[in-house]
Amino acid sequence: MNSFINRRAALRNLVIIAGGAMILPACYRKSGKASIELNNLQITEDEESLLETLADTLIPKTDTPGAKELKLHLFVLKMVDDCYKPEDQDQFTKGLRALPSFAKSTIGKDFVNASAKERGQLLLKIQDIKDTEEATEKGQEAGDDKSLKRFYDITKSKTIQGYLNSKYVMTNLVKYELVPGRYNGYFPA
Amino acid sequence: MANIAVDSIKDRTFDVIVIGSGASGGWAAKEFTEKGLKTLVLERGRQVEHVKDYPTTNMYPYEFPHRNEMPYADKQKNPIVNRCYNYHEESQHFFVKDDEHPYIQDKDFDWIRGYQVGGKSLIWARQTQRWSDFDFEGPARDGFAVDWPIRYKDIAPWYSYVEKFAGISGNKDGLAELPDGEFLPAFPLNATEDYFSKFLKEKYPNRHVISARCAHLSVPNQIHFDQGRVQCQKRVLCQRGCPFGGYFSSNASTIPWAEKTGNMTLRPFSVVHSILYDEEKGKATGVNVIDTNTKELIEFYARVIFVNAAALNTNLILLNSISDRFPEGLGNDSGLLGKYVAFHNYTATISAEYEGFKEYKTDGRNPAGGGYIPRFRNVYKQETDFLRGYAAGFSARRTEVSETNGVGEDLKAHLLKKELGPWRVGSHMMGETIPKVENHVRLDEEKKDAWGVPLLHIDIAYDDNDEKLRQDYFDQMSEMFDAAGFKNIQTHKDPRRPGNDIHEMGGVRMGTDPKTSLLNKWHQLHACKNVFVTDGASMTSTGTQNPTLTYMAFTARAADYAMNAMKKNEL
Repeated sequence: MNSFINRRAALRNLVIIAGGAMILPACYRKSGKASIELNNLQITEDEESLLETLADTLIPKTDTPGAKELKLHLFVLKMVDDCYKPEDQDQFTKGLRALPSFAKSTIGKDFVNASAKERGQLLLKIQDIKDTEEATEKGQEAGDDKSLKRFYDITKSKTIQGYLNSKYVMTNLVKYELVPGRYNGYFPA
Repeated sequence: MANIAVDSIKDRTFDVIVIGSGASGGWAAKEFTEKGLKTLVLERGRQVEHVKDYPTTNMYPYEFPHRNEMPYADKQKNPIVNRCYNYHEESQHFFVKDDEHPYIQDKDFDWIRGYQVGGKSLIWARQTQRWSDFDFEGPARDGFAVDWPIRYKDIAPWYSYVEKFAGISGNKDGLAELPDGEFLPAFPLNATEDYFSKFLKEKYPNRHVISARCAHLSVPNQIHFDQGRVQCQKRVLCQRGCPFGGYFSSNASTIPWAEKTGNMTLRPFSVVHSILYDEEKGKATGVNVIDTNTKELIEFYARVIFVNAAALNTNLILLNSISDRFPEGLGNDSGLLGKYVAFHNYTATISAEYEGFKEYKTDGRNPAGGGYIPRFRNVYKQETDFLRGYAAGFSARRTEVSETNGVGEDLKAHLLKKELGPWRVGSHMMGETIPKVENHVRLDEEKKDAWGVPLLHIDIAYDDNDEKLRQDYFDQMSEMFDAAGFKNIQTHKDPRRPGNDIHEMGGVRMGTDPKTSLLNKWHQLHACKNVFVTDGASMTSTGTQNPTLTYMAFTARAADYAMNAMKKNEL
C-alpha cells in the first residue's frame, strides 16, 4: 500500500517536473539560442521570435488557433534544418537576418513592433519581389532581396504545410481519416 | 562428442530449404509446410511480424517529424533508395539503405531491396494481372530470347490456386490478352475513368481501360478470415504494413499460415553464401548460411532447395555456388547464368485535364489506384517498328486547390476552403523490355560484402526498342486523350534508371534446351534437379504485367511438382 502511494507521489512529481521543463525554454531561456535543437541552422533566440511573429502574421489567431499557438515557426525551423539543401538553409538564414532592416527601411519601425496590418503589407511586399536575374545584378541590395524572397517563400510554404497538417486542423477543422473504409468514384461534388 | 555432432547435423537437416521469405518464398513455405514437410525458411534480414512490427501503421500525418519527407542528409547518403516512389518516413524501415548493402553499377541501375521477413511483399504496388499466351509465345513468335517451356494452360490452374488464397480484386473483363481470374469484387472506376473506358470501347475496339486488378480484400472470403485477415479499409497506407491484412503480403498471409502448421523453421539474419553441391550424389545437399549477428558460417541440409532470394540475389547465390562440377556457378553449363536480365520500361507518363463531370468528385480512397490499360500494341501480329508493347496505368482525380496568395486572416480563411478544380487524368507506361545477353550481372572477383559474399556487378541498360516504344506510347496516348476531349495534354519523359521499376527479371531463365537456358519447365536447374528457382530470376521474357502474381503461381506449381517427385523418390 505504502509503495503504491509513493509511486503515485513520484509519478505526480514527475509530471510536474516534465511540465516545468516544457514551459522553461519559453519563459526563462537565457541562452540566446533557438529553443529546439538544430543541426545545421544557426538561429538566435531573437531570430526565432522574429520568425514566430512572421508565422503568426501569415496565420494569425482568430476564433481558432494561429501559428504562434500551434508553434508553426518551430516546424518551419525543423523542416529547413533537416530537409533543405545547404544553399537554401543559407538563403533562409540570410533572409531572416535581412528582415529587420527591410522592415525598418520600408515601414520605419521594427517588424515585431508593427501592427498586424503593417506586418501583413510588408510580407506582401516581400512576396512581390521578382526573382529575376536582373535583380541580382544590382549588387548587395538585390542579393539581400533575393535571400529575403527565398526565406519568405520557404517560410510561407512550410507554415501552410505545418498548419494544414497540424493536429489541431486535422482533428478539428479538416478531419484526416486514418481509416476511411469507403471509396465512391461518383460522389456528388 | 560424436553424438552431439550427429544431433547437430540432424537439427540442421530439413526436407526443404527455402531461401527468401518474400512473395514467392512465402508461397513455397506455405505449400511445403501445409503438406507436412519440415521446411527451413532463410531470411537475410530481420523478423517483421504482422502488425506487431509495423511501427508507423497507425500514425497520423502530424506524428511524422518531417510530415513523411525524407531528410536531406538521408537523400545525400542514400540516393538510390530515395529515388524509389515508395520510400518515405512512414516506410523507410522496410527498405535497404544504399550504404549498408553496396553493389557495383557498371551502368546506372537502381537496385531497390527489402531485406526483412516478407521482403518486398510489404511494400509492393499490389497490382496483379495474369499472363496470356500472347506473352508466353512472344519470344518464339518475335525471335528474341528463347521459347518459354510453358504455356498459359500450364499455369492457369495455379493462377486460380494462388488468387483464391491471396485475394485478388477485379472484374471478369473477358479479354484474351489479360485472362480473367478468381476475383473478389473490383474496385470500381470513377466517373472520368469510366468515361475514358467507354470512349475507348467505342472508338478503339482493341483498347481497354479496366478496373486495376489488385491483391486487396474488397470482400473477403472465409479463407481470408482463416488467415486472420479482414476487409481492406481503403486506407491506402499499405507501404506501412496493414493491420487489417487488407492486402496480400507474406507477413499477413503465407508466413503465419506456414507457422501454424508447426512445420516451418523461420530463420532471420541468415545470409545464404552459397548452395552446397555433392559431386558424388550429383545434387545439392544444402546451403552455407552466415548468421549476420554472430558471423558464424553454418551448414543446413535438405533434399530440395527453393531459391526465392529476389531476382538478382538469386543470381548472386547461384553464381557464388562454385564446385569442381560447376566452376562458373551452380547449374551454369550453358554459361548464361546472370545473362539476359531484363526489367520493365517505366520511363514515360502523360497527364491532362478534363472539363466534364463537374457534378462529381471522389470520396474516400481507391486501393486499386484506378484503371489499367492492357497491352494493345503488337498483340495479334507485329504492327510497329518496335517489338512488343506496353501496358499502362490510367487514373483520374478531381483536383482541389486553395488560394494561397494572401496573408493573415485572408490566407487562413482560404486555406480551409478548398475549391474543386477540373479532373486531372494521368497515365504511366509499363513497357516490356527485350532480354539481351549483354544485360547481365556477375560477381566481382575481389570486393566482398561484410559477410564475405562477393559484390554484384550490374550491367544493364535501355536500348533502341525501349526508346521507340516510349515514343509510341506518347503518340498513342496523346491521340486517345485528345480524341476523348482531354485538354492540356503533357507528356513527360521519366529519367528513371533501369531497376527503379523494381521488376528486374531473368538471369536464370527457363527454357527447353539446357544449352540455352538454366531451368526446365518445372523451374528445376537442368543440371541440378533438386534446386528450383521460382522468383523473378526464372523469367525468360518480361511481359508487361506486374510480375509478382506470376511468381506466386510459378512457386505453387513447382512446389507441387517437387513434392510429387519427392514421393516417387525422384528427388
